[in-house]
Amino acid sequence: MPVVEANDLRRVYKTHTGTIRRRVKEIEAVRGVSFAIEKGELFGLLGPNGAGKTTTIKMLITLLIPTAGSANVLGYDVVKDPREVRKRIGYVFGGERGVYERLSGYDNLRYFAELYGVPPKTQKQRIDELLDLVGLKGREHERTEGYSRGMKQRLHVARGLLHDPEVVFLDEPTIGLDPVGARELRATIGTLTQAGKTILLTTHYMFEADALCDRIAVISQGQIVAEGTPEQLKSRVASGAVTEVEVYGIPDETVERLRTLEGVMSVWVEEREQAQVLSVQTRADVQLTAAILGHLNGSNVGRVSHREPTLEDAYVALVKDE
Amino acid sequence: MNSVRLFFVGGLTSYRALFYWLSPTIYIPSLIVAPIFQILLFAYIGRSAGLESDVFYVTGNAIQYAAIPCLFAMSQTVSGERYQNTLSAILVSPAKRFPLFVGRALPVMGNAFFVSAFSFAAGCVILGVSLPAGSIPGLAVVIFIAAFSCTGLGLTNAAISLRVRENAVLSNVIFGFLLIFTGANVPISELPAWMQDVSHVLPLTHAIQAARDLAAGEPFSDVTGLLATELGIGLAYLAGGLVLLRVFEWQGRKHATLEQL
Amino acid sequence: MRVLRLLAIGWKFHFKMIMRSAFDGVGQVIYPLFFATVAFFVFRAGDSPRTLLYASLGAAVMGMWSATSTTAGSAMQRERWQGTLEALVATPANFALILLPVTIAMATIGIYSLVATLLWGRLLFGIQLTVVHPVMFVLSIPATVLTFGALGFLFAVCFVRFRAAWALGNMFEYPVWLICGFLVPLTFFPGWVRPISWILAPTWGMNAIRESSLGGSPLPDLLMCFALGTAYIALGFLVMDRLLRAARERAALSLT
Repeated sequence: MPVVEANDLRRVYKTHTGTIRRRVKEIEAVRGVSFAIEKGELFGLLGPNGAGKTTTIKMLITLLIPTAGSANVLGYDVVKDPREVRKRIGYVFGGERGVYERLSGYDNLRYFAELYGVPPKTQKQRIDELLDLVGLKGREHERTEGYSRGMKQRLHVARGLLHDPEVVFLDEPTIGLDPVGARELRATIGTLTQAGKTILLTTHYMFEADALCDRIAVISQGQIVAEGTPEQLKSRVASGAVTEVEVYGIPDETVERLRTLEGVMSVWVEEREQAQVLSVQTRADVQLTAAILGHLNGSNVGRVSHREPTLEDAYVALVKDE
Repeated sequence: MNSVRLFFVGGLTSYRALFYWLSPTIYIPSLIVAPIFQILLFAYIGRSAGLESDVFYVTGNAIQYAAIPCLFAMSQTVSGERYQNTLSAILVSPAKRFPLFVGRALPVMGNAFFVSAFSFAAGCVILGVSLPAGSIPGLAVVIFIAAFSCTGLGLTNAAISLRVRENAVLSNVIFGFLLIFTGANVPISELPAWMQDVSHVLPLTHAIQAARDLAAGEPFSDVTGLLATELGIGLAYLAGGLVLLRVFEWQGRKHATLEQL
Repeated sequence: MRVLRLLAIGWKFHFKMIMRSAFDGVGQVIYPLFFATVAFFVFRAGDSPRTLLYASLGAAVMGMWSATSTTAGSAMQRERWQGTLEALVATPANFALILLPVTIAMATIGIYSLVATLLWGRLLFGIQLTVVHPVMFVLSIPATVLTFGALGFLFAVCFVRFRAAWALGNMFEYPVWLICGFLVPLTFFPGWVRPISWILAPTWGMNAIRESSLGGSPLPDLLMCFALGTAYIALGFLVMDRLLRAARERAALSLT
């Protein structure tokens, strides 16, 4: 039985605009997301900003009620049994806010240890262990308003683990951290799975997902566009080659026409300073450079190059294909 | 920008700041309900202590409460500029200060007039205070002048609040001083001599006295002296506020702290 | 009992945080002193059987109420601003049990106001504090703090949907000062006001403190404090569940 299960989750946000004539705008942030995470898995939710990762995770940790669909964690429904879910999960959100600035790191942990129901006898020991784990020992009695962003992040991690939860949700935990801190945090996350915990990690760093996760779901504009192990995702692109052409303005119809060419797997365009880069991924057995350049006859063309595809290509193709 | 345009543009910024106050959840509790209860509170305290009459407390508190919009809304319009980083742009412009900031003061004054007049009327109705019919127009003039005078104080407070970060506390303290020193609730004669001296240089003191005289049936001609004094005090605080703004602007330019104000 | 522990720890940490913002605190204490000063002058100049000590005690409790009314209503707003509201809701603890100690901590600050007012009266107007029932007096102070905190809890729960919750909280400052008989005996009010005064705990807290000082029977007042406080808390608990669910539906737990 999966530890975390999401079934066609949907979430619509309503925003009000205008002061005199109030209009309601509806934004569908999550449009039918489903996945299942098994015990002990480190599952990654990979996608660009605004894809719906944070919204999805907030629904799973009971902070948001889905507009449609359902989800359950360890068998408990996130809407009907929020309390049971909360007892068994920990979550780590990044950012500067979310801690009590006028309290020390230690006091913050003491307070939340009590709220999470950590038995009083074990609180002190547990807090000490966690401070060691996240590397805040020695700074725990300073007020958090003086903490750097990285330190606050580490405090969030410690807080998420206070009650030794079976499932841990991490929302972009390494964002804003310096490279050393980020690497240490990734190592810590790795040790959590070794301890038997199930982890859901959201990130927009593709290499992070590749390095840490057992399985990845790629989410874009509220929908899952691909799912599989990192190897499976890579194999979607392992074949063929990528032709990159520097262009200065390319009409959309040209892009569409290129997509329909025989042997073309995917086409995407990236902005790079003064120009754009048109990338066409083709099957290994076809040579399409001439055909591609032919279609570009109307536009200005710069350098043309060929290279091996990478996982990043797969990711970019998936999220830009809309 | 010519003066007239400045006058109205300044007014428009004030309106926008006032929009914050005009939100019903803020306006009704703070500017409609609160002054009426302040009147009732002190009227009953007066009854409980056996001092003066209901009309004494209605006149005193209705006029004193004008301080709330004058102090807070005025600070908002001036400080609001700071937060939008437009203050330095305005202060280093060749725009004439006088029409700009006076234009800004107009909606504040209008609002203060309305708040005082409304609570005055409501207080009289609720407590069953009857006023001589002929005194109503005169009272309207008194409240108008009180609003003007208090707005002058508001401008000075707003100027100071550019330098003092916690301007809400300052505004509250000024409100408290006005509560005691203007004779709103404590007859001036009951105050020690040094306090009486302070009363006479504060706005609202003379207006409150004028209002009480009119409510007691005295003709308008008898209170013109008090009103002239009140007007003068208001102008003095207005001028003081403009001078302070000039000084802080000069200091800000000198120390490059204009945006930190 | 786990519930008591939770309440105590919550109170401890939130009180600690309030104490650490010294400037707000000073403002809280000073503002009611202006009103106290007016009260002292008026009662001294007036001619009624009510003594200056009566005025001093009334003004002192006015300050205690200010400490709660001006801050409790926006308690949840403040948590949202700090980004901690989500963190609190995400814990398995009952949210009402998390919020209640916050408002009680706010009400505890009222003790500073009480002491400041009594001292002010003593220093400036020579008002001596005499206490007829000392044990009751000492008990009525925390009893008043607790009921004020409970009423503040109800405010926090009811005002959470309003962005300007502080304005609503402030709106209850004057009316409570007036109809809870701090400086005006309830007999001065029309009959229909009396029941409203009776369901407001500040009336009974004031009575308890006043009667322990000036003489009377404070015990029934203390019991009423306790009963009303319990009622407020129960009401708050009932509303809380519905409220949180609505907040989760409307994504109102965080600012973004």
